[in-house]
Amino acid sequence: MSLLSLQHIVKQYGTYTASDDVSFDIPAGKIFGLLGPNGAGKTTLIRMITRILYPDAGHILFNGEALAEKHTERIGYMPEERGLYKKMKVGEHLIYLARLKGLSKSEAQGKVNHWLQKFQIEDWYHKSIEELSKGMSQKVQFIATVIHDPDLLILDEPFSGLDPINSKLIEEEIFALSRTGKTIIFSTHRMEQVEEICNEIVLVNKGRKILEGGVKELKQRFKEHLFRITYQGTLPDGMLEKLEVVSADTQSLTVRFAAGHKGNELLQLFIEKNLEVTSFNEILPSINEIFIRQVHSSN
Amino acid sequence: MNKIWIIIQREYITRVKRPAFLLTTLLAPVGFLLLMVASVAISTLNTGNNNVAVIDDSGIFNAYFEDHNLADAEDGSVHFFVVRENFDSLAASLSAAKEDEARYSAVIHIPAAFQIESPQNPAMVYMHVERPGMARQQFVNARFTDVLNKIRMQQLNISDTLQAQMEQTVKLQYISLKNAEEKSGYGLAAGIAGLVMGFAIYMSLFFYGTMIMKGVQEEKTNRIVEVLTSSVKPFQLLMGKILGVGAVGLTQFVLWILLTFIVNIFVLPLLGITMGDSPSAAAMQSGGPEMDPESMQAMVYSLRELPFTQIILLFPLYFLGGFLLYGSLFAAVGAAMGEDSDQQSLMIPITLPIIISIFIAMNVVNNPDSSLGLWASLIPFSSPIVMSALLPFHQPVWKVALSLLLLVAGFVFTTFIAARIYRTGILMYGKKVKFSEILRWIFSKG
Repeated sequence: MSLLSLQHIVKQYGTYTASDDVSFDIPAGKIFGLLGPNGAGKTTLIRMITRILYPDAGHILFNGEALAEKHTERIGYMPEERGLYKKMKVGEHLIYLARLKGLSKSEAQGKVNHWLQKFQIEDWYHKSIEELSKGMSQKVQFIATVIHDPDLLILDEPFSGLDPINSKLIEEEIFALSRTGKTIIFSTHRMEQVEEICNEIVLVNKGRKILEGGVKELKQRFKEHLFRITYQGTLPDGMLEKLEVVSADTQSLTVRFAAGHKGNELLQLFIEKNLEVTSFNEILPSINEIFIRQVHSSN
Repeated sequence: MNKIWIIIQREYITRVKRPAFLLTTLLAPVGFLLLMVASVAISTLNTGNNNVAVIDDSGIFNAYFEDHNLADAEDGSVHFFVVRENFDSLAASLSAAKEDEARYSAVIHIPAAFQIESPQNPAMVYMHVERPGMARQQFVNARFTDVLNKIRMQQLNISDTLQAQMEQTVKLQYISLKNAEEKSGYGLAAGIAGLVMGFAIYMSLFFYGTMIMKGVQEEKTNRIVEVLTSSVKPFQLLMGKILGVGAVGLTQFVLWILLTFIVNIFVLPLLGITMGDSPSAAAMQSGGPEMDPESMQAMVYSLRELPFTQIILLFPLYFLGGFLLYGSLFAAVGAAMGEDSDQQSLMIPITLPIIISIFIAMNVVNNPDSSLGLWASLIPFSSPIVMSALLPFHQPVWKVALSLLLLVAGFVFTTFIAARIYRTGILMYGKKVKFSEILRWIFSKG
């Protein structure tokens, strides 16, 4: 069941097409990576999901219904470019944003207390925003995003500007939210985070969708049948002639197999020659490599 | 609607809680008072040497001055000294002396060949060390014309008593046939009241308009708008801000009125000052056209005859209408401008009609029944200021109704336009905005 479904979305600014017939589904309860180079149209897509902008053509469905105003209260959005009112106090600011998401004053008050406690920052309640460091205000911004307990979270570069400790804190929070069944759209340039965090991704470039799928499935789909084997001993002459060796170091080989062959065949060969294998594994492409390759070929 | 209310509350509370609010509320009346006192003080301020020597070689004036005074300027800006010295040597000594040591700042020379019949030929000469300003030139010309006329009358054997009678001017009493309340002196009272109201709206449009604009710029610059617009519609955000700031303005106005009352009723009597002695009355007397005590009294008396019910009912409506009409436009400009302060030119289309309105208001209080007044009090862009200025002049019901109707249509229109500019502008970053582009935003869909 998909929580969100984008169907043939088109958005133009003047003559520039920011979204060109984009369709994809975001499954409920998954962490979904929305990837693409700068200017690919990610923010435009997010803005249409958050109803800041409206598509020129196409439909967005939320839980099977046409996306409408009532759904905005079930979405939490943390934009890449973040900001808060500098003169407001942390507590009143969070309550304000929560109330704009439909919470009553007392509900909002309770949630604010809960989250400040959770992050162990209760003493920030009466601090004014301008006193906070960047990392601190980032935390406040994160709380503002999740405070109304949304079903769908949209996090645009949530780790930018955070030190490793706070990054870890937010990351753990994202996983915790995911475990409780929240759907999360995660937009970033940092591909190592994608592999770590996302279940599924969609890749856009120049307003078009160029790739989508599960992270594991994509790595399989784009694998090049490369295997690395490390061993003890000396390779007998002529042994490599039958193999397509991509690179060879001392005691280590990277070999490409033609499709249809199995890794066991290579192992077999080494065993026959009585060479001791110390490690053997298939090399799968990183999401970063897939990203770069796909963007280049779509350009 | 609920969300607009939440936004209004935030806009209102955060502003009212700031120390700056209390400060402007308390200090603005003081500042206004100081401004008036200062303007009176500056206008009566005289610097430098005001002594002017008069040398008459023709003898015509000297004969007259034997038993008449050459009166100095009432405000002390010119002191005449009729001297019997040689003109050339006095002029030489004045030009040789250092500027601050000269006995006289100027010497008026009436040449020997001067004739009453042709006072321009040969003309009297004003030789100066310090350049005379326009006011002094006019004063000296008038004073000597006056003296010359008196010498002429003397030659015609017109007695001093008769001369005094001739100086009395006629003052008509102006009374309206249509409105019995408009007694003598009413026009002046109404004009002053009207201008005060017109100016109040004029000032508040700029003051609170800029407040709205700054608020929008802040939201755009610190990017909170992106979070906000994912929760509420840009239109709700726009209306919440305008109404919130409007409520701040209204609060401030009410406080100012209360403060004025308190000061007038409790503080001033303690200091032994009554309303009539207030600096504003003094300013009107010294700054404005010279007014005799009698018509001053009539004017003050007429203030009580103003149509207060109409004013109290309608003035807030025009205040509100004008505020909504221009407030949304200020917001739109703030959205288009963002942090870019060198885009001030975007403000011209808003500020120009406001400034023109106050000029029209200043004109129509003198010609309340002119066609300019009629049109300007109907057109929504000028009606808040112009109609407020005209309210003391008993406006007919149809005119007020039509004007208010058009004002409502006007602000619905500008809010519609502004909302379209706002919602696009507020999300547009890093780009200089041109007027042509703003026009495109207005006509673009979603």
